[in-house]
Amino acid sequence: MKKVFIFASLIIFFAAGIWGAFNMMSFQNTISSDMDAVSLYNDPQHYDLSDATGVADIIVSENLDKTKAVNAVTAIVFDFRGYDTMGESFILLTAISGSMAILRKSKKWGEDDHDEEEH
Amino acid sequence: MKKNINVRHIIVKDAADIFTPLSLVFGFYIILHGNLSPGGGFQGGVMIAASAVLIYLGYGFKTASSAINMEVIRKGEAIAAICYTCLALLGIFFGLNFCRNVFFNNGAIGDLLSSGTIAFMNYAVGFKVLTGVSFLILLMVSLLAPDSDSEHK
Repeated sequence: MKKVFIFASLIIFFAAGIWGAFNMMSFQNTISSDMDAVSLYNDPQHYDLSDATGVADIIVSENLDKTKAVNAVTAIVFDFRGYDTMGESFILLTAISGSMAILRKSKKWGEDDHDEEEH
Repeated sequence: MKKNINVRHIIVKDAADIFTPLSLVFGFYIILHGNLSPGGGFQGGVMIAASAVLIYLGYGFKTASSAINMEVIRKGEAIAAICYTCLALLGIFFGLNFCRNVFFNNGAIGDLLSSGTIAFMNYAVGFKVLTGVSFLILLMVSLLAPDSDSEHK
């Protein structure tokens, strides 16, 4: 009975994947070759965005205006998503705290055995 | 495998000699130019932490733990976390949002400090990752180290 459920669900997933793949053929391209990056940079508000044009150019030009950082990924990670980066870096602190809680009794790391006796 | 005989392979030791300064210099370059070239704090920090692994592979845990002061890097990680939080609080002191870039308009595009707090946050996160990952790796690796009695010979 379990195998029948697994088989049926896999067949449903497979059919949905094939259906989605055939539907994706009719989508528009996200990057078109007739994009004018200079006019977009000079006048980003009044640029015609009705047809699907490159999102990357819009991101880079807006990013240069707002942060003056050349690397767009660093600008997004450290400026627009600063909360996210702070949480990401605090995950590391949590990982070290957990590792020290587990591995404290091994007492092999470092040469300062007298430091642990104080606690 | 006899545990009391400590033999390091010459190829591993020479590879550690060659690649440790390379990874240090390239990692610091990636951190310092994080807002200008591809890369950033996380990537450069992990690349510097790889040099700690190279030292361990070439010379063993005893040398690595004596060459790298683990108490200092454990405190340095907390200092870097405080630095990042204070840089993020700088927006509140100027009357704006948390994590707001307050002084980003100094210099032409492409200068090192033209992006304001992005560069300093990048350095803080790079220092945090390089201390944290190297401490974590050395802490895990210390379980593999033999006892200090057999290492003395």
